[in-house]
Amino acid sequence: MREKIEKLKQDAAKAIREKVANLGELNDIRVKYLGKKGELTAILRGMSQLSAEDRPKIGKIVNEARAQLEALIQEKNEQLKARELADKLSSERIDVTLPGRQRPLGHLHPLTLTLNRIKEIFLNMGFSVEEGPEIEKDYFNFEALNLPKDHPARDMQDSFYITEDILMRTQTSPVQARTMQSHEPNSPIRMIAPGRVYRRDDYDATHSPMFTQVEGLVIDKGISFADLKGTLETALRQIFNDKVGVRFRPSFFPFTEPSTEVDISCVMCHGEGCRVCKGTGWLEILGAGMVHPHVLEMSGYDPAKVSGFAFGLGVERIAMLSYGVDDLRLFYDNDVRFLRQF
Amino acid sequence: MQVSVKWLKDYIDFDWSAEELADKFTMAGVPVEHVIRADEGLEKVVTGRIEKLVPHPDSDHLQVCSMNVGKDEPVQIVTGAQNVAEGQVVPVALVGAHLPNGQKISKGKLRGVPSNGMLCSAGELRMDLTKLTEEEKDGIYILPADTPVGVPAKDVLGMDDVILEFELTANRGDCFSVFGLVREIAVLSGNEPKWPEISVKEDDGAKAEDLVRIGIEAEDLCDRFSARVIRNVKIGPSPEWMQQRLEGAGIRAINNVVDVTNFVMVELGQPMHAYDYDHVAGHSLTARRARAGENLHTLDDSSRLAKGDELVIADAEKAAGLAGVMGGLESEVVDTTTSIILEAASFNGPSIRRTSRACGLHTEASGRFERGVDVENTKRALDRAAQLLQEMGACTVTQGIVDAYPNPRQPVTVSFTAEQINRRLGTEISGERMAEILGRLGFEVSGDGSSYQAKVPSWRNDVSLMDDISEEIARIHGFENIVSTMPWGNVVQGYQSPRQNFMDEIRGILVSLGMCEELSFGFTHPDMFDKMRVPEDSKLRKAIEIMNPLTDEYPLVRTTLLSGIMENVARNFSRKNEDVRLFEIAPVFYPKALPVTEQPEEVMKLAGIMTGRRNAMGWNQGNESVDFYDIKGVVEELFRRLAISKYTVEAGEHYMLHPGKTAVFRKGKEIIATMGEVHPAVADAFGIKQKMYVFEMDIETLMKYTTKNFHFEPLPKYPAISRDLAMLVDEGVNAGDVEQVIAKNGGKHFKDVTLFDVYTGKQIADGKKSLAFTMRFQSKDKTLTDAEADEAFQNILKAVEKNFQAELRA
Repeated sequence: MREKIEKLKQDAAKAIREKVANLGELNDIRVKYLGKKGELTAILRGMSQLSAEDRPKIGKIVNEARAQLEALIQEKNEQLKARELADKLSSERIDVTLPGRQRPLGHLHPLTLTLNRIKEIFLNMGFSVEEGPEIEKDYFNFEALNLPKDHPARDMQDSFYITEDILMRTQTSPVQARTMQSHEPNSPIRMIAPGRVYRRDDYDATHSPMFTQVEGLVIDKGISFADLKGTLETALRQIFNDKVGVRFRPSFFPFTEPSTEVDISCVMCHGEGCRVCKGTGWLEILGAGMVHPHVLEMSGYDPAKVSGFAFGLGVERIAMLSYGVDDLRLFYDNDVRFLRQF
Repeated sequence: MQVSVKWLKDYIDFDWSAEELADKFTMAGVPVEHVIRADEGLEKVVTGRIEKLVPHPDSDHLQVCSMNVGKDEPVQIVTGAQNVAEGQVVPVALVGAHLPNGQKISKGKLRGVPSNGMLCSAGELRMDLTKLTEEEKDGIYILPADTPVGVPAKDVLGMDDVILEFELTANRGDCFSVFGLVREIAVLSGNEPKWPEISVKEDDGAKAEDLVRIGIEAEDLCDRFSARVIRNVKIGPSPEWMQQRLEGAGIRAINNVVDVTNFVMVELGQPMHAYDYDHVAGHSLTARRARAGENLHTLDDSSRLAKGDELVIADAEKAAGLAGVMGGLESEVVDTTTSIILEAASFNGPSIRRTSRACGLHTEASGRFERGVDVENTKRALDRAAQLLQEMGACTVTQGIVDAYPNPRQPVTVSFTAEQINRRLGTEISGERMAEILGRLGFEVSGDGSSYQAKVPSWRNDVSLMDDISEEIARIHGFENIVSTMPWGNVVQGYQSPRQNFMDEIRGILVSLGMCEELSFGFTHPDMFDKMRVPEDSKLRKAIEIMNPLTDEYPLVRTTLLSGIMENVARNFSRKNEDVRLFEIAPVFYPKALPVTEQPEEVMKLAGIMTGRRNAMGWNQGNESVDFYDIKGVVEELFRRLAISKYTVEAGEHYMLHPGKTAVFRKGKEIIATMGEVHPAVADAFGIKQKMYVFEMDIETLMKYTTKNFHFEPLPKYPAISRDLAMLVDEGVNAGDVEQVIAKNGGKHFKDVTLFDVYTGKQIADGKKSLAFTMRFQSKDKTLTDAEADEAFQNILKAVEKNFQAELRA
């Protein structure tokens, strides 16, 4: 009897280990040996025919064999399940190198991005952002800025005229006069005025009949040229980088005295001299100066009581340098292959 | 203005290189644009004597030279030149030379014979070929036999000069002269100028005032008119040194008289003119306004009819020259001239500027007058010119100067304190230092150590205020020596206007919806209106004309953004970019009246366009094109994000849109957006075959309806019940109208309705369409029962059936 049980156990174990290929076959084995009509179960059922002495011994052996087989089946069951899952996952493999489904966003224009950066810097320094009309009176565009008719400096900015007295503004500077005139005389001002301006320049890689300028004006008691330097150095280092060199050269604008051109060290060659800076190591970036007393007076401010500085910078120029754009016309071409890069 | 460094060195010493000098000038507000070196590339070119010349053993046209270049060992050079001989001195490019034409000289072999340099021709050295004979231009340039060997070739060729080209600002007329520049160098270097002695011997007994009459009729346009008369003139070439100086200044030598007037103009900054005495009718010269229609025959042999506001110099009969711009042809100094009237005058800058612009004549003289010349300089200039001609033995000088100077210049004195200047600059410069700087610049300064008076020199008309003085101090002190500070004052809040914030917000939303921002010019062309089918009587056609447009391309100021958008799309299509989504926010301009009498209305607009694929091209993305409902979705989402709600949408009209595919969004009666498909005729006019969809809005109007104080809606506590409804209606029925009826009849628990299917085709009768909606019912206070939902649903069914003769589908 004992040998019979041992044989059954061995056969079953062998079948489980070596023959079973899937869960179904495993179940068949379980039914064959351990099921209600299984071979091992049958032995248990036939125990009544054994002597009382043998019964517990054989019962113990059968139960041990049963426990061993159940453990084997359980083990095999887990193995088979794991393999089936692995097979399933393996069959679901995809090509992860295929591109993802695109949900493209749009793009702000690079000039807007540049202008936003400039606005943010000055807003953080407590400047307001002012606006003015693009079709402007000669008075605000020129005369209130100390540029009477026939002033030779009017040559510097050949203008599109609508009538003798109305023109496409050539600069955002008229917003200076407009802002002062809308303020209580001698009250402090810190403003920038971004906007489109128009000049009769041929359309080429560095000129355009329409471009974008940011005017700035600071007026208060005791504002000095040293403050102008400090403010513009701070702004330029934020626009470009901490290490950019800033150079102030004397210049001439009718609406400021003293006047200065501001250069930065070339962002392409870092001052070594290259094609972009024409070998000088410097790039002209903006014009500035202490507000001319006539300009203050014409807008109701008293130059004996307050002083101020003004500046004007070209957004295209800064965008070209920041992004390495070598042809200004790209900004107004609106080629989507260009716009989508920003 | 350009000038050679040699000319400057004639009058002042300095140790700076040309580049250093240029930098000093630039940093003092006298900008140098270029430093031009004639000797560039000639660094390794020296003089050498051909000691031995033998034929090349292996060539019938090459020769082998043994050159003495001033070193211990001779240098062997193989040359192909035929005009060389033993004993000649020639320019030799040594190994390592990089010639002006780009050629680099290195060690080499020519047909097996080592060659260590090159003999040079005039062209290879970039000499001025116009000055050379044919013989000199051909072959190797042969130097005089007594030329020392081993010295730099540039020195013996007169190519050692350096030219500074200035880009002077409009205020610094005084620097339009060698004297003015030398004055600046003196201040910057601290060295004393060596001014030439200007003195003339009046060696002709005749009195100038008996020979010529000078008058000023237009005193507003001419401050001063001075003249000298010289006689026994011998016209000939001017001396070599003067020609060289003029050449350095970019002025061509002509003859001794013209050269001297030009020389004095560059040296002293005073333009001059020489008249042939015998061709000046009545021997009288008057500065007067031209008479309208008067003939002006100038030196360039062109005739113009005067408008009447030009200043001319007239003799007894006619205009003899355009004052300050160009002389007249008839009184031109020619080889046979024997007596000359020399003119030195001071003309009104703006008037000269107008005339020179009107005539298109920009001359050395007009450029100086425009910026203003020193009115006190005329007599000195006449003396200098007479002196130079006399020194050349070219004339005798008559007695005295005839000078018309009706209103002598009143000296300008500026008062200032050191404290004022320092406050403006943010510096701590002593009063003594300020006085010293001004003194060196030619100001006469008096004062007590804190408060000063500075008498402005006659050549500095740009200085009249304390502020101008501050600039002089600052630029000489050096901008770089002013220590930067930040402005002090109350802490203030930076801000931009609500409209600017609103526009920034719209840009952000449209970008997140896949649109790219474009920027286009504010101009347009009348043809655009035709292409866009703008009606003849539309106010859009009443665009402002520019008086002086740049080209014919853009004569008008734009009245719509759509013109620019269409141009941009067309440009993209021409480059095969056919998936385009653009928007722009910019003003358009409506005149209040035409012709324009006042500033126009500037209205801020938003416009956008979509065309091409709906999805980016890709292996797993559909290939459909965008349609009307894509751009409508953009408009709807924009409004949702701007919290603009409760608007109506209906079919509408727009000049450039498909009449059956145009939608108008309204708040009440006001249009807040128009959108639709571009009319095929418009697409055709722009050469585009693809369907395009545009929208157009007005920023101020949108701003009016955006909800500023937005509050969130609490999330529902109780579940919603849904009911679906499918119906057959006539094809002409608008889904939007059905939705409105559903919403209106949904009862108090109606939540929302969504159209989820629209179908025509199989199983649907012709002229009908199937619409399917799902609607939700929900209460804030309780869980709705099915019965409550059904009741509301039944009401909706009835209303829909009644209103649209709808046939309900199971």
